[in-house]
Amino acid sequence: MTLFLQAVADGLQMGLLYALVAVGLTIIWGLMEMINFAHGEFMMLGMFGAWGLSVSLGWDPLVSMVPLAVIMYGAGVLVYRLLMRRVQRGEIFTQIFATVGLFFFVQNGVVALFTSDYRFVEKSLLTRLSGANLTLGNVRIGVPLLVGGLIALALFLILYLLIDRTDFGLALQATSEDRDAAMLVGIRPQHMYAVAWGLGTALVAIAGVILANFFAVYPQAGLSFTVLAYAIVALGGFGSILGTLLAALVVGVVQSVTAAYLPPAFKDAFVFGSYILIGLFRPQGLFGRF
Amino acid sequence: MIWGVAALAALLYPIPFEQTGYVYYETVGFLVLLNAMLGIGWNIIGGWAGQFDFGPNIFFATGAYTAALLAIHFQCNAWLALLGAVVVSVAICAAVTYPITRLRGHYFAIATVAMWMIAQPIGATWELINGSRGLFLPVAPGGGFAHGMLTMEFAGRGKGLGFYYLALLLFALTLLGARAVERSKLGFYFRAVRDDQEGAEGIGIDSRLYKVIARCLMAAIFAAGGVLYGFWALAVFPDQVLEVNWNILPMMAAVVGGLGRLWGPVLGSIILIPISQLMTATLGAGPLAGRGIDLIIYGAVIMLIAGWRPNGLLSLPWERWAARFRGRAAAQPVKS
Repeated sequence: MTLFLQAVADGLQMGLLYALVAVGLTIIWGLMEMINFAHGEFMMLGMFGAWGLSVSLGWDPLVSMVPLAVIMYGAGVLVYRLLMRRVQRGEIFTQIFATVGLFFFVQNGVVALFTSDYRFVEKSLLTRLSGANLTLGNVRIGVPLLVGGLIALALFLILYLLIDRTDFGLALQATSEDRDAAMLVGIRPQHMYAVAWGLGTALVAIAGVILANFFAVYPQAGLSFTVLAYAIVALGGFGSILGTLLAALVVGVVQSVTAAYLPPAFKDAFVFGSYILIGLFRPQGLFGRF
Repeated sequence: MIWGVAALAALLYPIPFEQTGYVYYETVGFLVLLNAMLGIGWNIIGGWAGQFDFGPNIFFATGAYTAALLAIHFQCNAWLALLGAVVVSVAICAAVTYPITRLRGHYFAIATVAMWMIAQPIGATWELINGSRGLFLPVAPGGGFAHGMLTMEFAGRGKGLGFYYLALLLFALTLLGARAVERSKLGFYFRAVRDDQEGAEGIGIDSRLYKVIARCLMAAIFAAGGVLYGFWALAVFPDQVLEVNWNILPMMAAVVGGLGRLWGPVLGSIILIPISQLMTATLGAGPLAGRGIDLIIYGAVIMLIAGWRPNGLLSLPWERWAARFRGRAAAQPVKS
């Protein structure tokens, strides 16, 4: 029983980080209905940014998070303006291929610059805290992961308020619901799409910066997170920010509970298996409204 | 006429290299043919039936493993093993594909990626196929060329030549088969499902059935390719047969050449594979070796094609250009 509770507690913490990876995709895919197979690569760039700034300037990832988010926002806007705008209105397969091309380009560009070696962010605030534990009954909760999870939660709430409670968020939703009608009331769709790409990219890069504290930094880190993020967004119901959060927690728990009882190689297999099952039996997602 | 020349060139291609000893180029030819064949297979589901499969390499792996098991445990002949591998892969494909044909567009695509992700730990841990230690094929070398063609067993000097012709044979069979499908009722059903699924269902086409058939045809071709590759590499490892390149290169060949066109994947493969081999050869052991430069180029090429010419190179107005080149007045609009 303790093993199970421990696994659930670990899973919830990981789930919060997954939520941050997935929420960028909720905006781009769920809300704006554009496909991005390079999502995890932006996360990987965030990880490399955190590693680079920590090695060269000695910045803690919690500090470098801010400039990296700004840079990656710009990168996201640029990707939309240079590439995605061209393929947005064509057939769906052009979006798939454009972002698959981007995925190869970015991943192997990083391989060319840094090789595929594993790197680790050392001496950051969160890694120094490793070993510090909170104990709740028989369940141990590691402080670093908890702090990371809380940051994720805070960002999540800000985003939720931004999308659901501000004029800007309403404009974003209006664009996704009816592009032409949005234009009639003075919203520029191109601008909204660019902002959505910027936001989504910045958020997943922040997720990468936080994850760099816990995971090895290497160029191929992205793909499994991309697929995980798609599974989470689909589970959560498209465009629902809170649904994404709940689905990410579910995925985190499923993963860590299966890892506790089965060979660890299968922890992702169960998540993807449940994606297929939910896609078949409840295509609107666990928490989708329609 | 032009097809005769192309066929002759394909048949004679390895001869000068065999004479001069540059057998490396025979291997390049082998890889071009193998990927062209897989590309034709991918084109059936991706180009004609319009369903994007990002995890076809699970059938490449299934084929390679089935043949390896048959060869190891039953001393099965390579061609019989190929037949068995195709049957097993098609059966597995039908079973796993039917449920996910309810999904459309990128949901289908992600489900296929998910299957690939699920296959990876299975390949790495399943004891029957020896987990990540892989299987080694028992090969008795020493027979001549004819013996090799019948058993897929080549070793040493004749290997490059032998496998080139084995690949050419399978490629030619695939091309002829795909051409027959393209012109048959089946091919029209595939394209009807792609272009308008509701409309196709309205006239009585069971769209889910035809998606399954399309993916099974692809699975058969990938399985055959996997068998050929297994006998070429003499071993089957999960990391190697489930590698991402077996997903990406056939798909890219089809897209670069022209999605949904019979010759698209062939053209794409002829362009793309030598790029990768050339990069490997020229970068050699230099500082940029093994840094994925070829994949950067691939990525850029896919982005350019998707953004500017989504229907591939074959969709360019080649015939008009050729006519202008010949200076035919008929191709020019008459000015009054």
